[in-house]
Amino acid sequence: MRTIAEYNPFAVTVYFLAVAGTTMFSMNPVILVLSLAGALSYFFVRNGFREMKSHLAFFLMFLFMALLNPLISHNGVTVLFVMNNNPVTLEALVYGIAAAAMILAVLYWFRSYSQIMTSDKLLYVFGVLSPRLALILSMAIRYVPLFGSQVKKVNQAQKALGLYKEDNLVDSFRGGVRVFSVMVTWALENGIITADSMTARGYGSGKRSHYSTFCFRRGDWILMGISCVLLIVTWIGLGDFTFNYYPALKVSALQKTGLIGCISYGLLAFLPVIIEEKETLKWNCLQSKI
Amino acid sequence: MELLTIENLSFTYPLCSTPAVTDVSFSVKKGEFVSICGATGSGKSTLLRLLKRELAPLGERSGQVYLDGTSQEALSADQAARSIGFVMQRPEHQLVTDKVWHELAFGLENMGTPQSVIARRIAEMASYFGIEDWFEKNVTELSGGQKQLLNLAAVMIMNPKILILDEPTAQLDPIAASDFIATLRKLNRELSLTILIVEHRLEEVIPISDRLLVMEKGRLLAYDEPRAVIEGLKEKPELLCAMPAAARLYHAVQGTGECPLDISEGRAYIQANFGNQIRRLPDKVDGSGKPGAVGIVTESGKPGAVGIVAESGKSGAVGSAAESEKSGAAGSAVGIAAESGRTKTGENAIQTGRIGRAAKSDKTALELENVYFRYGKHLPDVLHGLNLKVYENEIFCLLGGNGSGKSTTLSASAGLLKPYSGKVRVFGKRLKEYKNQSLYRECLTMLPQDVQTVFLKNTVREELEEAKAEVSMLPFDITCLYEKHPYDLSGGEQQLVALAKVLATKPKLLLLDEPTKGLDAHAKLGFIRIMKELKAKGMTIVAVTHDVEFAALCADRCALFFRGNVVSDGVPADFFSENHFYTTSAYRMAGDYYDRAVTIEEVAALCRLNRKEAIQPGWKGMSSAAGKHGAEKMAEAGKMTEAGKTEEAGKMAEEEKTTGATERTGGSR
Repeated sequence: MRTIAEYNPFAVTVYFLAVAGTTMFSMNPVILVLSLAGALSYFFVRNGFREMKSHLAFFLMFLFMALLNPLISHNGVTVLFVMNNNPVTLEALVYGIAAAAMILAVLYWFRSYSQIMTSDKLLYVFGVLSPRLALILSMAIRYVPLFGSQVKKVNQAQKALGLYKEDNLVDSFRGGVRVFSVMVTWALENGIITADSMTARGYGSGKRSHYSTFCFRRGDWILMGISCVLLIVTWIGLGDFTFNYYPALKVSALQKTGLIGCISYGLLAFLPVIIEEKETLKWNCLQSKI
Repeated sequence: MELLTIENLSFTYPLCSTPAVTDVSFSVKKGEFVSICGATGSGKSTLLRLLKRELAPLGERSGQVYLDGTSQEALSADQAARSIGFVMQRPEHQLVTDKVWHELAFGLENMGTPQSVIARRIAEMASYFGIEDWFEKNVTELSGGQKQLLNLAAVMIMNPKILILDEPTAQLDPIAASDFIATLRKLNRELSLTILIVEHRLEEVIPISDRLLVMEKGRLLAYDEPRAVIEGLKEKPELLCAMPAAARLYHAVQGTGECPLDISEGRAYIQANFGNQIRRLPDKVDGSGKPGAVGIVTESGKPGAVGIVAESGKSGAVGSAAESEKSGAAGSAVGIAAESGRTKTGENAIQTGRIGRAAKSDKTALELENVYFRYGKHLPDVLHGLNLKVYENEIFCLLGGNGSGKSTTLSASAGLLKPYSGKVRVFGKRLKEYKNQSLYRECLTMLPQDVQTVFLKNTVREELEEAKAEVSMLPFDITCLYEKHPYDLSGGEQQLVALAKVLATKPKLLLLDEPTKGLDAHAKLGFIRIMKELKAKGMTIVAVTHDVEFAALCADRCALFFRGNVVSDGVPADFFSENHFYTTSAYRMAGDYYDRAVTIEEVAALCRLNRKEAIQPGWKGMSSAAGKHGAEKMAEAGKMTEAGKTEEAGKMAEEEKTTGATERTGGSR
């Protein structure tokens, strides 16, 4: 009874690497369309149709990238029209659209991924690899906002002392430099307290272990298994289903293996949506029984 | 059984001629709660650090520390880390990781403890300390009190034999601080954990301590049960001022018998030893020379009876007369009104407040009118239709709980935050009209809560030169700190240097955010004196504080802040005597016994006035109800008052006058 966000972060990471990685290394339009559709639908299932402005920005970026390529690249045999003595070709336009779609799909996958992977989950993933690295990251994650808020406090304190003159750019720049230099002292000074607190609790007295609030359940293994299997099937299947953009658009004949590859990638791309919807259905079903 | 034994411990820091700790020997039994006190720089912190091997400073040391019979050096790294837990002052800098649960796990991770064991211990700790609700949170989201509790839990998870705390509540607000101390008490009582604590907030720590250790100039001055130690402190006012209110009262009235330590003991002590025929001190004549209403209120007096000195009020009358002469209000009508002390209403109190104020100034220094402020579009209002007036040349204290918007008010007044509605006026001019930072030049300045944010340079001298501070003009001396780094100073010294820097802009209005945070009692008294001197020079001071004792001693007017608005204000005597919870320890001890006595000095003065009344038979019932102070003690106290009666009576008027004068009109000299 869990959505993909509640799966073990390691399994989630494996899934996202599989789906986004395939997109990144493939320019196959079928894959790109599936990936983009999967990424968008998952994002909307998670977030609903809110904050459409951010989507508009992404769409504009998509258009920009799609149209930029034919203006820069003049490869290809089908000339659509000539602009400033430069041919604008169909192939370059299609390639631009494909590349933009690829970037957009990857961006949307990672938008969902960053929503799911809060800092503690990220640390867990790193902690599996190296406990020491996880600790350093954890400290860094804590320190950056602490540093930021202290800079803000110092700025306000100095402003109330009348030591800043807002109307003068040079003055405020010099003020900024002074604040930065004192912040270095501050960080070192208080770093000593943190270091004391660490040694007092036995840091460095032996081999560290790593504790986390996550554990592997059966479903996590299944998710990882499915992701890996679908990934392998996709790559084998797509081996002989190629698509060439230059010099002319050329698709190899779609064979059985190619079809299987496409289907398996489609499943992979829509896996989160399927899981999410399955849970909703299951929940509704249970509720109607209650 | 001795758990910790210290033998002839001495320590000298490198490049220092005098040792920080000299020949200290004492031992702590298992399950004891030991409080350590002493002036700043008396070697308390050094002593504590020497007890924890990992934190011991570098330098020349001699002597031995035994833990459970084993020498400190002989412990393994693992044992040394586990067996002594150490909690320091600044809550946020002791935290290592970003998540609450990770912080809890940190110590055990260092020991290489397997995950399943960590999980069990974390569960145990989180339940015991009530951390479950914020278990998943980021540490940055926690309040100061929660952070410190987390630090404690993160240490306790290693199951230490001894817990050492170095001023753990110095950076906390009073409520979080007493919660923290209550937790320590619980650990001590329930788990018989041995605790050594250095604290400024002795008010709450001493009553629960088994032993009190006093340090002076690196030497151990006393180590015994708190009562015995406090009784021996008669000759040391700088140490005595940090003691609980009840103990200070005991000394202020030259008490004999068993020294009271907490509020209820103090209350019983007053009721057992002193009468309350005179319930109220005569009002002070206002410092500006205009006579205020001088009244002696006695309980036996009848309402409306004018010019009657009630039978027991004789000495009081002498006191008030003497005082009105002294303040030059000769010839002015001094009405001695006797009215029932219990009929004083809130309206009355406001009246008194107005009188006190009108005598000073009608001009407003700071005025907030219908101010609304919020930190984000979708966040709730922090200031909600706030109306506030601060008059010129007064000390105004804004009290209130955490998150009630006190500090926000200060930032809005200083123009650091922009309210979305309402007007802020400083000396009659709206903030907008102060163009080009002129607000911060010779007009207004603010001392922030974290004084470290004021410092930008490497030495105090550079700091003051940069700000063009005229050190000779200051009402305090900081020349001895010149070559030090601002971060190396003690809390009190940092406060003074920051104040010097802030005063360099020659402000007329000084805003202070929690000025007494992290100050020890002695430094706090010094700070109050400075505030009064600044006021005497014509400055207006607005202080946001949690510290009711500070407000009672220092303020001309106090206001209680609640949910973005001021809900009550008045002169301290009225303000604190109308509150029942949010009030001073002195008023808690003597509240329903004497009227309007909100400081220890006032209560002590009243006690002296009432002393000559020999204890009547009827009082016995009351005193036996007081529990610890039995009949035996009563008799003793009775003897004492009897003996002191004659000479006391003579001194009384004078004594009362002096304490009173320094107490409340001190600032307007």
